[in-house]
Amino acid sequence: MTDILIETLDLAKRFGDKVAVDRVNLQVRAGEIFGFLGPNGAGKTTTIKMIVGLLQPTSGAVRVAGHNVQTEPLAAKAASGFVPDEPNLYTKLSARELLRFVAELYDVPRAAVERRIEELLRLFDLTAAADDLIDSYSHGMRQKASLAAALVHDPRVLVLDEPTVGLDPKSARLIKDLLRQLAQRGAAVFLSTHILEIAERMCDRIGIINRGGLVAMGTMAELRAMGQGQASLEDIFLSLTGGAEDAAIAEVLQ
Amino acid sequence: MIGVATPRASVASSTWKLLWLRVRIWTSVLRHATVRRKIGTLVVAALVVGFLAAAFAGSWALLSFLRSPELAQIVDLTQLLEALPTVILTGAFLTILVTSFGVLLQSLYLARDMDFLMAAPIPVRAVFISKLIQAILPNFALLCLFGLPVLFGLGASAGYHALFYPLVILLLACMTFAAAGLSAVLVMGVVRLVPARRVAEALAAVGAVASLICSQSGNFTRTMTFNAQQTTQMMDLLSRVNAPWSPFAWAGRGLIGLGTGQGATAALGLGLTLVLAVAIFAVTLRACEVLYHTGWSQMQAGTPRRPHVRPHDAPRAAAARRPAFPRLLPRAVTALIIKDARVLRRDLRNLSQLMTPLILGIVYAAMLARSGGQVDPGRGEAPEWFMQGAGQMMAYGNIGIALFIGWIMLSRLGMMAFSHEGRAYWLIKTAPVTPVRLMLAKALTAYLPTLVIGELFLLVASLLQRAGSSVMLFGIAVVALALAGGVGVNLAFGVAGANLEWEDPRHMVRGSVGCIGSFAGMAYVALAAAFFLGPAMLVPLLGGSAGLGQAIGVVVGGVFALVCALLPPYLMLGRVRRIGEVG
Repeated sequence: MTDILIETLDLAKRFGDKVAVDRVNLQVRAGEIFGFLGPNGAGKTTTIKMIVGLLQPTSGAVRVAGHNVQTEPLAAKAASGFVPDEPNLYTKLSARELLRFVAELYDVPRAAVERRIEELLRLFDLTAAADDLIDSYSHGMRQKASLAAALVHDPRVLVLDEPTVGLDPKSARLIKDLLRQLAQRGAAVFLSTHILEIAERMCDRIGIINRGGLVAMGTMAELRAMGQGQASLEDIFLSLTGGAEDAAIAEVLQ
Repeated sequence: MIGVATPRASVASSTWKLLWLRVRIWTSVLRHATVRRKIGTLVVAALVVGFLAAAFAGSWALLSFLRSPELAQIVDLTQLLEALPTVILTGAFLTILVTSFGVLLQSLYLARDMDFLMAAPIPVRAVFISKLIQAILPNFALLCLFGLPVLFGLGASAGYHALFYPLVILLLACMTFAAAGLSAVLVMGVVRLVPARRVAEALAAVGAVASLICSQSGNFTRTMTFNAQQTTQMMDLLSRVNAPWSPFAWAGRGLIGLGTGQGATAALGLGLTLVLAVAIFAVTLRACEVLYHTGWSQMQAGTPRRPHVRPHDAPRAAAARRPAFPRLLPRAVTALIIKDARVLRRDLRNLSQLMTPLILGIVYAAMLARSGGQVDPGRGEAPEWFMQGAGQMMAYGNIGIALFIGWIMLSRLGMMAFSHEGRAYWLIKTAPVTPVRLMLAKALTAYLPTLVIGELFLLVASLLQRAGSSVMLFGIAVVALALAGGVGVNLAFGVAGANLEWEDPRHMVRGSVGCIGSFAGMAYVALAAAFFLGPAMLVPLLGGSAGLGQAIGVVVGGVFALVCALLPPYLMLGRVRRIGEVG
């Protein structure tokens, strides 16, 4: 069994004339947390959507847990869990009903469903609101319900798009600990974030995408070596993707 | 430190800025629209102008005829003509008062830009006025479209003073503002008590049911004939509405006074109307300061009431809640059906659309019961074959109505099966569910409730008609098969026009596909009725037995229905994989 759980091969996506993702090649191994960084509109979410099967690539391929997402979608999807940047859920279901629904979709063994749901509700502090309609949840609660839904079938691959947005510090810490534990148990975690501190502290390897192309990839040490003496991820990121110039900032603040 | 100038925005300038922003957004949308859409907009504009001109010319001609001395010798319609402005302006006021509630609720509380507007240094009155104007403008435009040509026609036919025309527009606007103001006060009051979103859902359900009941009540009144006494009563009512003491009549009487050169009547009527409208609007603005901002803030800060579903009661209870059929179906299919049933049942906006066929069923069943299921022989001069054919049609009429009711249900449950997933569709798309299973789940979600309602209606109608058991059994088979075909047709168009970005359930399916799909669904029902019922009615007329006709009908119609049930969804399987993808 291969230990490469996510692999993109010359992955590209065009929207009309616009190239959103341009021949991206990356691999994420079992037990690894991979941070995917990039400025707004760089192609992060489009890449993620192709990995989880929400978008068909224009060219190239994605393999998840050894299965091609385009030609073997069921096997690839069964192995992965996804947390989108916006927690759009069925607002007229309760969290418990949502988790049960997702468990049925992923064919989780019947005997394990209720126990698994209870565990996840407790983990994400949703037990008290488990039978309330999601309609009444705050953004943070919806985000946690979305995370619980992604974990209900115990996926080998977890893909998260900005998972800590809208979460309080306690919940954000919970996510970080959870992702680390999942990786330690052999799952591959693919995580996009704008919070560079999270990427720097949590991720084993980091990929930086800019204007659709992967401009750098490696461990923090490798990125530092590429960054010509720049010590922080922020400096490396800005030097690779282009940050605001001092003059422009001064002009705005005048 | 950045020095920020404190804005000293007046209500008028802020209102103007907010309204101008809307104009710019509208023109920007038009500028960036496709050529086809631009041409469509121009065509619609030309049609509107054409309609206005035609309605004005028609009104002018009709009202001139009603004023003619020749007609006056037969019937004096002066009272009716003088009450016309009052009737139209009163109608406009009441229409705006009733219809504004929903749009104002959406505009004042549920619009997406409210956070931005309330956080900006803009007077709350300006936000309120601009939102009010935006909300009532479409309804006001409709009133102008139908009311102005008649009122202008009245002026032209009687040769009224030139001031009559601008004052008609001014009064229509004033009464619209006053009515919308009252409606806004009501909205602000209700939202203080019930969450705005809940009010909107309930309103959608009540509105749909009420409008359907209104439209269907025509089926009962259509057969009524007006006698002389009722006509007199109507004229009395008209005179009461146009009585000088009635505030509704002040504007109308003032306009007539202006037109006929009665200066005092004109000044009094128009003056009183304007003062009253301004007073109502001033009170509304005052109320908005007290209620609007605090109500909106309360909506943001208040802990929403948590709608509670049946609490969890151990896995055993969950298993007990599962329907009897899950073992026959894959788990994902069962899960999708249960999820859809819950979501549809809990969203009042969806429920309102599903109430329509139920009400139709009750109305038509009552009509059938009233007719006794017998053909009226009239004067007995109709030929035998005609009466026999009419009898056959009557016998199978309830099947036709059951199919019609099913068609209405399927146009919601089938055609919107994918769209109603909305933005939560990613949960299904990222799950290991094949398009075939997804299609099967959606088909069953649409088919099962439609089948139950259709068959139930058929049974009740057949019992009311005292239909024979063979007709009843034939009907049960026809409804079951024909509805299955209807599911296939509607589902296919639902896939083609799936829109996951809707906010309002009325916009679930993309415009052109939804329109074509409705026609296709209607055409399917007509064809299915012809294939199933045609042989059943024709064979006895040609001397064959009724049973033989029904058997041929079931075979011919059944083949047609099964092809429609399977082929369109099969052809759309490839598109299911692409639902929710752009580009």
